[in-house]
Amino acid sequence: MQSTKMDELRRGALVFLGLAVLTVVEYYLGTHEAPAIFLWVVALLKAGLVLIYFMHIGRVFRSEGEH
Amino acid sequence: MTTPEAALTTYKQKLANNRLGLWLFILSDSFVFAALLVTRFYLLGDKRPHLEQELGLIVTSVLLISSFFANRAEVQISKGNRKGFLTSILITMLLGIGFLVGVVGFEWRLAPFGPADGPEGAVFFMMTGMHAFHVLTGVIFLFIVFRNGLKGHYSPEKHWAVEAAANYWHFVDVVWIFFYPALYLIGSL
Repeated sequence: MQSTKMDELRRGALVFLGLAVLTVVEYYLGTHEAPAIFLWVVALLKAGLVLIYFMHIGRVFRSEGEH
Repeated sequence: MTTPEAALTTYKQKLANNRLGLWLFILSDSFVFAALLVTRFYLLGDKRPHLEQELGLIVTSVLLISSFFANRAEVQISKGNRKGFLTSILITMLLGIGFLVGVVGFEWRLAPFGPADGPEGAVFFMMTGMHAFHVLTGVIFLFIVFRNGLKGHYSPEKHWAVEAAANYWHFVDVVWIFFYPALYLIGSL
């Protein structure tokens, strides 16, 4: 149980790190006149990370609920 | 079947319905934000408002960090760590208030236009205002969860309110993930 908790905390930290890196990339692209399509791709990647790993969108498709 | 087991089974069945209800709410709410995003590009096109870039990056970072702590709060309560859960919820709330101060307290005052100064002002204040309102309701939601957590209302098996508050908070973060580039980065001055 304890290792699972550590795994989940580690995963949360890794997702946050990914979001932080993508935000830096996004800021660099935006302040260097990069095409808007790249910014949209970064935004979609960030949103995907949050939806899958923080919001656990997969849970909604389970017939019986468990935390 | 003993009574506590039956109660847990009922709770699990309700949980699946609650989750579906929350996601339907999130889906319907996202249409409001999608409409605002479309409005921004319809009215301003390839032109972006003149805003403080550094401040935009700071408030975005604050919201991302708050999402990390919201997720951490949910993990902590699911593993029975009440103290860790309360600390994480408190940090999430404080960061949410920090975001509000950054946007409403600073960015609104520093913006070189008002809400009635043409499409630029209307778009900026409507988008950030609607989002800030959701952040405020999220902070209130988190406060209620924090207060109930202090009273010991949640357990590893039963903490739907924590999950709902965290998911709502993450949704507010997802909205800003799209609003930030739309307002600060895409287009020319």
